[in-house]
Amino acid sequence: MAIIELKDVTKSFGRVNALRGISVKIDAAEVHCLLGDNGAGKSTLIKILSGVHKPTQGQYEFEGKPVELTSPREALDLGIATVFQDLAMLPLMSITRNFFLGREPKKKFGPVEVFDSGKASKITNEELSKIGIKIRDPDQAVGTLSGGERQAVAIARAVYFGARVLILDEPTSALGVKEAAVVLKYIVQAKTKGIGVIFITHNVHHAWAVGDTFTVLNRGTSYGTFKKGEMTRERLLQMMAGGEELEELAVELDLIAKRDPSEAGKLEHRVAEELDREAHPKS
Amino acid sequence: MAALRKVLVRPELGAVIAAIGIFVFFSIVAGTRGFLTAQGTINYLEVGAEHGILAVSVALLMIAGEFDLSIGSMIGAAGMLIAIPVTKFGWPPWLAILLAFAFSLAVGYFNGWLVVKTRLPSFIITLASLYLLRGLTFGLTIALLNYTRASGMGTYLSGDPLVAIFSGAPLGLKISIWWWAGLTLVLGWVLFRTPYGNWIFAAGGDALAARNVGVPVARVKISLFMLTAATATLLATIQVLDTGSTDVLRGELAELEAIASAVIGGNLLTGGYGSVIGATLGALILGMVQQGIFYTNIDTNWFKAVLGAMLLAAVLLNNYLRQQALRSR
Amino acid sequence: MQRNLKSKIITALALAASFLVPVAGFAQKKPHIIVVTHGQVSDSFWLVVKNGVDQAAKDTGSDVDYRSPEKFDMVAMAQLIDAAVASKPDGLVVSIPDADALGKSIQAAVKAGIPVISMNSGSDVSKKLGCLMHVGQEEYVAGKGAGERMKAEGVKKAVCINQEVGNAGLDARAKGFKDGLGTDVEILAVGMDFTQSRNAFSGYLQKNPDVEGILALGPTGSEPALQALQQAGKVGKVKFGTFDLSPTVLEALEKKEMDFAIDQQQFLQGYLPVVFLANYVKYGLLVATNSIPTGPGFVTPDNAKQVIDLSKKGIR
Repeated sequence: MAIIELKDVTKSFGRVNALRGISVKIDAAEVHCLLGDNGAGKSTLIKILSGVHKPTQGQYEFEGKPVELTSPREALDLGIATVFQDLAMLPLMSITRNFFLGREPKKKFGPVEVFDSGKASKITNEELSKIGIKIRDPDQAVGTLSGGERQAVAIARAVYFGARVLILDEPTSALGVKEAAVVLKYIVQAKTKGIGVIFITHNVHHAWAVGDTFTVLNRGTSYGTFKKGEMTRERLLQMMAGGEELEELAVELDLIAKRDPSEAGKLEHRVAEELDREAHPKS
Repeated sequence: MAALRKVLVRPELGAVIAAIGIFVFFSIVAGTRGFLTAQGTINYLEVGAEHGILAVSVALLMIAGEFDLSIGSMIGAAGMLIAIPVTKFGWPPWLAILLAFAFSLAVGYFNGWLVVKTRLPSFIITLASLYLLRGLTFGLTIALLNYTRASGMGTYLSGDPLVAIFSGAPLGLKISIWWWAGLTLVLGWVLFRTPYGNWIFAAGGDALAARNVGVPVARVKISLFMLTAATATLLATIQVLDTGSTDVLRGELAELEAIASAVIGGNLLTGGYGSVIGATLGALILGMVQQGIFYTNIDTNWFKAVLGAMLLAAVLLNNYLRQQALRSR
Repeated sequence: MQRNLKSKIITALALAASFLVPVAGFAQKKPHIIVVTHGQVSDSFWLVVKNGVDQAAKDTGSDVDYRSPEKFDMVAMAQLIDAAVASKPDGLVVSIPDADALGKSIQAAVKAGIPVISMNSGSDVSKKLGCLMHVGQEEYVAGKGAGERMKAEGVKKAVCINQEVGNAGLDARAKGFKDGLGTDVEILAVGMDFTQSRNAFSGYLQKNPDVEGILALGPTGSEPALQALQQAGKVGKVKFGTFDLSPTVLEALEKKEMDFAIDQQQFLQGYLPVVFLANYVKYGLLVATNSIPTGPGFVTPDNAKQVIDLSKKGIR
């Protein structure tokens, strides 16, 4: 049974249709990639999955039962953890405090409950080393970590607090090649722990490296969901790039080039050829 | 090296350095003219206490990312809420004091609720409260007393159960100093040793992210606005009982001095970072400078210029130290 | 090389000496007097007082500090008095606008053996708190002087404009006026707003066309009243006086639109206490009285011009 299933979900903001008729299934121990160019509706879809928005139409089912999430906190309680692009990490705060924010371990000090920082530091150290991050001091500010390390802490936090589904919103988009590779490694680790990972990205190469299932969004609708065996990377690229638009653009540039024999014209002609090649990849 | 970095990271470091520096400066320049006498020391500690009682709560609110500009007006309003019922309507002081606190908690709640609900900058909302409260204080006082001052409290104070905890001078130190110390210890402990304190940092660092992980940001902010209003009333109570009188202008500009103390003490204006001890040190520095300058030969007309220069220096120092602390290794 | 070294030594010595100047000041036994008032130097009234203080410092060769809180703030003023006491001056001059708030600090000064002279406000509490004397204007006496003056001019019906009802000092002025005039005087209460005060007074004039004398207790009341009189065409037809000076008042006096202004001569309130304390400290000499009235001084159209010149110099 799928952990999360969206059935024919539509989301409108006033007269603007952000999503139309989206049906998607997330299983345990799988990496499901959500692909699409900017403006495809990926962020709206995540916001629905993580409880920030409610679908205008359609069903949201968790373990087969319909749910209506009214806040990210509710989603979190169900085990749906989202790591947003801004990470929800406070740079001036220590790693330990960030790790346990909102779920601080407590111990009694007479009649009052205090923050058990000793226990918190110990666990933070352990969890981070489990995913291979060695930090000198869990009390150092999160701001001293690199972008990739911060992503890793966010993922480690979600995993520790018992996430069943991990939604990652463009985790590699702002990272260099080496750091991105590290994050992809953690995604795979999470999957092996049995977590269903939703990996949102516009980078087909990253998605191809770790994904089991792919859903491509374009302007609010889905082109379909495909398992890895049913798909090739080039076709995925073509789907995402919107093949028809590229063809049209190539024709237009060609026309301009024919009318203009100058250097600019020759340049346009070359670009048209290149776009044509991308629109019709030889597979 | 790690130990040194741990010290560098503390937001209070700049304030400690500045406090020591200023103390040494005044000791050299004005030590024999009264700065180093017992009386002189108590004098600047008293002034420090008045800033400090406000600064510690203002610091917490600032760390949570908000400002309360209305506390100065609250001091005036609370003072009248105590003095008028007692001197004109014969209320027992303890009842009037409770009234003042109840009023301030209500105003604090209202301020906080407005800020959270409208998502407008607290700067603007509490600026409006500043005028509203001060205006109401003026209007009601003149309507009831036909005068801008209420005096003669002294005769009603003996034997009242609450008066004792807000007045007097145990061990020669005015009660305001004891309250200052107590508030610093308690609030400092809350900030660093409780989950609630963590939430204060989170609310100021990134309220949205905090809310997303389940921190009750609205509740935290509203409670902190109630705290600032309450400490303003605490100060007003101490002052009214001490001087036996109050006037409609009491507390004017106190909010700026409290914010200045907090900032000198290393609290970030943008929130998410700071400490209560720092704010207390900032208040101490402000008190030392405000009173210390009178023991020197410097013309008091230059006082404001000196204070401004100090504020700038303290902020620059704190900024530099913080950048060192956050440098990626 | 020799010259360089010499100049360095001289500079170093000069720097060291400058540090010692405050200490040296003490060594010569110049009287050190501290003046603490509730009035800011930015207020033109108190600037005149400070000028008096500075002049006295020069004339007696004393070291005088003038201190006041940044705004009207009784708590801060009490703290300033405490600070003054801690620096153990030879003498202390204070104004007492709020005896409740300042009483403890003043009594502490007296107890510490510092001679204290009060000025400007607090004439009724000065002796009780232990001050040597009070230098200022007795409000009741000044009011009485104004009343007697108007009585001599034949005024039988008068009105008194009070711009700050509840101020004990102003109340004393009004009472004195009533007693000096010998008849009952209506008190017209106005506020700080110019237009409202003027309209209030215009209303009074309309209801009482037979009023013969007007006394304002301050420029805040007299300036709107003057405009109201001008609008009603009654300037010069009634006797019009005020307490305290302002440029508008002085101009009106010169133009004979007002009959007199009562000047409390605040320059003397700054000057005299410092002179008395300096002589007391140096030689143990003290004037044998509890109260030196610096007012009422009457400014009339005859001497208005001289006063205007002096007011520009900050003496009046």
